[in-house]
Amino acid sequence: MITRQLSISTPIFILIYGVQEVVVNQFRLPAGGFSVFLIFALVWAILSTPDVAAVSGFVSGLLMDLSPSASGPIGQWTLILLASSYAIAYFGSGNENVKGNPVGVTFFISTTVFFTEILFVITGALLGVQTGSFGQVLLTIFGITLWTLVITPICLPVFSLMHDIALDTRSKI
Amino acid sequence: MRYGGEGRSRLLLIVLIVSALFLITLDLRGVGVLEGARQGTQTILSPFQRGGSVVITPFKNFFSDVTHLGRTRNQIEKLRSDNAKLRAALLNRKNADAQLLKLKSILDLAGTAGYKILNARVISQGSSQSFSQTITIDLGTNAGIKKNMTVLAETGIAGVVKEVYSHTALIMLATDPAFRVGVRIAGSQQIGILSGRGSRSGRLQLLDNQTTVKVGDVLLSRGSVANRPFVPGVPVGYVTAVDNSAGAIAQSATVHLYTNFATLGVVAVVVGAPTVNPGDALVPQKPQPTPLPTVTIYVTPSPSPTK
Repeated sequence: MITRQLSISTPIFILIYGVQEVVVNQFRLPAGGFSVFLIFALVWAILSTPDVAAVSGFVSGLLMDLSPSASGPIGQWTLILLASSYAIAYFGSGNENVKGNPVGVTFFISTTVFFTEILFVITGALLGVQTGSFGQVLLTIFGITLWTLVITPICLPVFSLMHDIALDTRSKI
Repeated sequence: MRYGGEGRSRLLLIVLIVSALFLITLDLRGVGVLEGARQGTQTILSPFQRGGSVVITPFKNFFSDVTHLGRTRNQIEKLRSDNAKLRAALLNRKNADAQLLKLKSILDLAGTAGYKILNARVISQGSSQSFSQTITIDLGTNAGIKKNMTVLAETGIAGVVKEVYSHTALIMLATDPAFRVGVRIAGSQQIGILSGRGSRSGRLQLLDNQTTVKVGDVLLSRGSVANRPFVPGVPVGYVTAVDNSAGAIAQSATVHLYTNFATLGVVAVVVGAPTVNPGDALVPQKPQPTPLPTVTIYVTPSPSPTK
C-alpha cells in the first residue's frame, strides 16, 4: 500500500520541488518568503495516514536536503520533515475540525511550518549550522509563517485535488 | 491484528528516523557520495533555472517595483532633482568639466585595482527557508570559476564562491550568517573580522583591543593567502554604529554593506588578482558639497532727475 502510494506521489513531489527551485526561488521576497514545496509536503501529509505521511515526509525532506542552497547537512531536513509530517498527520487524523475545514487546515499548516522552522534552528544549532542573529531568525520564522498563511489557501485546492486524483483517497478539502 | 499493525508502523518510523540520522552522520563525516548528490541536483536544475530566470525576470521586476514602491518613488524624486542639477551644471562649462573629471575617475576605479574579472548573470536566488543567503550564477568550472573566489557587485563585495558546478556556481552572499571576511579600515589600517547577519548590515569585530573605530570609517577586504577567498582592497561597507560597551575585549561595530543585495542581477567573479595590493585605491569617494555661487551686485545710484 505504502509502496504504491509512494511510487505515485514521488514524481509529483519532484515536480513541485522543481517549481520551488526554478520559479519560486527566483523571487527574493521580504521576510524569508515562502516554500511551496514545504506547504505541499505538509498538505500531502495532513491528507494521508501517519505511516504514509512519515514516508512522504522522508522523501520531501531528502529533496529539500538535496537543494544546493540548503545550509545544513544532508539528512537534517529529512529528519525534520519526517517528524513534522508524521506529527501533522497524527494530530490531524480523525479530527474533522481540522481535516474537513480549509481554514483549520491553513492554520494547522502555518503552525506546523512555524514549529518546523524552529526545529530547524534548534537542530541547526546542534549540528553547527549558522542561522544568524536572534532578531533575524525571529523575523524570518514569523515572515515564513505569515507567508504560509497567505499562500496556503491559494494552493490548498490544487494540492488537495492532486492528492485526490493521484491516490484516489476522496480526502479532498 | 491491530497490535501487529501498530508495531509495523512503529518499526517504519524507527527505520526512517535511523536512516535520516545515518544520512546526517555520513554528511558530517564528509562522505563524497552525498556531496555528489547535491552537485547532481544542481547540474539537473541549472538549465531549468537559466530558462526560468529569463521567463520570470519581468515578473520579478514587477514584484520588486511593487515591494519597493516607496523607495522607487524616492529614487524617482532623487533622480529628478539630480537631473535638474545636471541641467544646471551643463550651462556652466567649468562645472561640466568637473563633472567629466569625476565621471572619468569613476570609470578608472574599476581598472585601478587591476582585477581580472568575469561577469556573470544571477540565475537563481537561494531559498531562505534554511536561513542562508545565496545566489546561483550562470558561470561554472567551464568558464574558469573555482571555489573560494571573490565575487563583486557594482559598488563592492557581493560574496564568495561557495560551490562550483560545470555551468553554474553557488555564491554565498556577504549577508549570509556564515559569511566571514577579514577587513581593514581604510586609512588607519586597523584590522577586524566582518560577519554577515542576514541583512544588509554586518557586524565588525576588531582584533586589537588598543584600536578604535568611528562612524563613517570605510572597510576594505584585507585579502587572503594566495588571494583566495578574498582579494585585497575591495570596498565592503562603512561603519554606522560603534558598540562601546564596557567589558568588551575589543571594539565591535555595525557596518552598512555597500552592495544592495536585493537588486543583484549581474556580478563579477575575480578570477585573477592584481600583483600589487591596491591599498585604499578603491575607497568610494565621499560626496563633495556643491559650492553655492555668491552673486555680488553693485548698484550705482543714478543722479536724481531735475525738474
